[in-house]
Amino acid sequence: MTNKFNITLVSALTVIALGSCVSRGNDPGWEYAPDMYYSKGYEPYNQADSFKTNPYGMSMREPVVGSVAIGKIDHLYSMPNTGEGYEASATSVVAPAGIDQIDTRGKYMYDVYCTPCHGAEGNNDGEVFKKVSTLKPAWKGYTDEYIKTLPEGKIYHTLTYGKNNMGSHASVLKPVDRWKVVKYVKFLSSKGGSSATAVVSQDSTSTK
Amino acid sequence: MNKNRFKIWAIASLMAITTPTFAQDAPNADNGKKLYEANNCGSCHALDKKMVGPALRGVHERRSEEWLIQWIRNNKKFRESGDPDANKLYQEYGGAAMNIFENLTPAQVLDIVEYIKTAPAPSAPKTTGPVVDSNAGDQDDSSTKYILLILVAVFAIVLMVLARVKNTLKRIAAERDGDVESSKKHDRWYQKFLPEKLGKMNPTVLAIFTTLIIGLPAAWYGYKFGITEVGVQKGYAPTQPIAFSHKLHAGELKLDCKYCHSTVEESKSASIPALNTCMNCHKGVQLTDKYHGEISPEIKKIYAALDYDPEGMPGKEFGNNPKPIRWVRIHNLPDHAYFNHSQHVVVGKLQCQSCHGPIEKMEVVQQWSTLQMGWCIDCHRNTGIDAANNNYYAALHSKAQKDLKEKQNHSQYFGPDGKVKITPAMNGGLECAKCHY
Repeated sequence: MTNKFNITLVSALTVIALGSCVSRGNDPGWEYAPDMYYSKGYEPYNQADSFKTNPYGMSMREPVVGSVAIGKIDHLYSMPNTGEGYEASATSVVAPAGIDQIDTRGKYMYDVYCTPCHGAEGNNDGEVFKKVSTLKPAWKGYTDEYIKTLPEGKIYHTLTYGKNNMGSHASVLKPVDRWKVVKYVKFLSSKGGSSATAVVSQDSTSTK
Repeated sequence: MNKNRFKIWAIASLMAITTPTFAQDAPNADNGKKLYEANNCGSCHALDKKMVGPALRGVHERRSEEWLIQWIRNNKKFRESGDPDANKLYQEYGGAAMNIFENLTPAQVLDIVEYIKTAPAPSAPKTTGPVVDSNAGDQDDSSTKYILLILVAVFAIVLMVLARVKNTLKRIAAERDGDVESSKKHDRWYQKFLPEKLGKMNPTVLAIFTTLIIGLPAAWYGYKFGITEVGVQKGYAPTQPIAFSHKLHAGELKLDCKYCHSTVEESKSASIPALNTCMNCHKGVQLTDKYHGEISPEIKKIYAALDYDPEGMPGKEFGNNPKPIRWVRIHNLPDHAYFNHSQHVVVGKLQCQSCHGPIEKMEVVQQWSTLQMGWCIDCHRNTGIDAANNNYYAALHSKAQKDLKEKQNHSQYFGPDGKVKITPAMNGGLECAKCHY
């Protein structure tokens, strides 16, 4: 009896010992040749501990002052992030040539970056606003007179710097995409409701 | 207090006479609460803390009723009329203009003020224990595990040797004493551990027998373990410095993955969002109701990392001492394998979930796929691609059309069910140098 017990115990312990090496929770598990698993070169988002000279101990360096990432040049936009800048953007900030129509890209970017709060049709009924209603702006939706009469420059300014509870979307929307979103917002505002989204989705299938 | 009440009552009754449509007896806090909510005052103001606009509690002590009525109904006109307090307030808040609420009657404004006056103070913050830094001390402990296993093995060997020595000594002692029976009875060390019949078997047969019964299954288990577990981090779900819940953000709030991982369509990596993206919502969302008036400890970590002061005046909220958050990397490819997100998301039109699993249901994100090479290859061999409507595959598509027309090499274009199936493998998806270079 004890012999059988011994054998069972030993095999059970072996299984448990091997089983505990499986990656679960905080434990990445067993590794063979870890020097090949972890890149010696700096991969994006790898933490380089030995790189103390970088700002804030980051593994990336900050871009040289004045450098502009591809596609991020904020053409024709130099308004300061102040109340005066906002007011001035009404007249002096206009869409660059070539962006005068709503297109599928505008709808696409709107669906990703705006619908969580403002809803698919701009009625301020996105999931975030539903859950945290105190974030809602004072106007009810894009079909309000306030948005209908809001100059495009001010919308662009708001996308770039944020306003009230809304944050800046400049890091996720390139200037061109920002203008396309502005055009789409204006389109939703003028058409209003589901007819607007229907038009664009029809448009998207035909142009694809 | 009485005097104050009388004053409000007097104003209200004056309103009642001058504007009979909105006649009311005295400011009504319930009515005010409804108006406060209907006009989304809460999107810029809170009672006890500064948000976009100032904290409102006690505003009736700071300003007169007339001032409040003018300011709330049309602050722009009020400022232009040259009121020094109004202009000072506007400058103080960095020129962020308040909306115009001319839809409110003066009586309704006073209702709102009454609501602010009578709103109950928040419950006292619960004393919380010191925040445990979950990131401290969870360094790699695999070396300890190795040492322990080696120690166990060494002890086992020592025990076996000692047992053998003991048996040998016993036998020698028995032989010396002339006890031949006893010396023969225990002539093999393993006989003690086995039933009598097995112990008396021919040692060679026993060895083969043991290998078959225990050795082969153990070897099979070890082999499977080696290829499916060693170096495979499937199921790895490390504790992150901020307990960000994908279940809440991607699942319940239905945020598009690209809202935060915005470079996934343009870059090799899907990008960990900058804290700026968190602040798009968490400037306003602080979950103070849930934490007895305090800001949620997890959201506080965002503020600490940014050196952001939620009470700071516009233009002065951000300090000079930001500390980047050290997120723990979950998915790791060896440095000899190349993977590009944009290729798979834009060209391949894959959903994030095909590789990352039901992220929208994960409270703590874990690695869902094995990320082994066989896993990559399986998908490249078996996934059908929409070659006809995808410019990236134009060359492949025209070649396939030509082959099918001329009836050559065409069996490769059909799946097992007889339908046309074009896979990434046909487009060079199995070339070594596509991923290893």
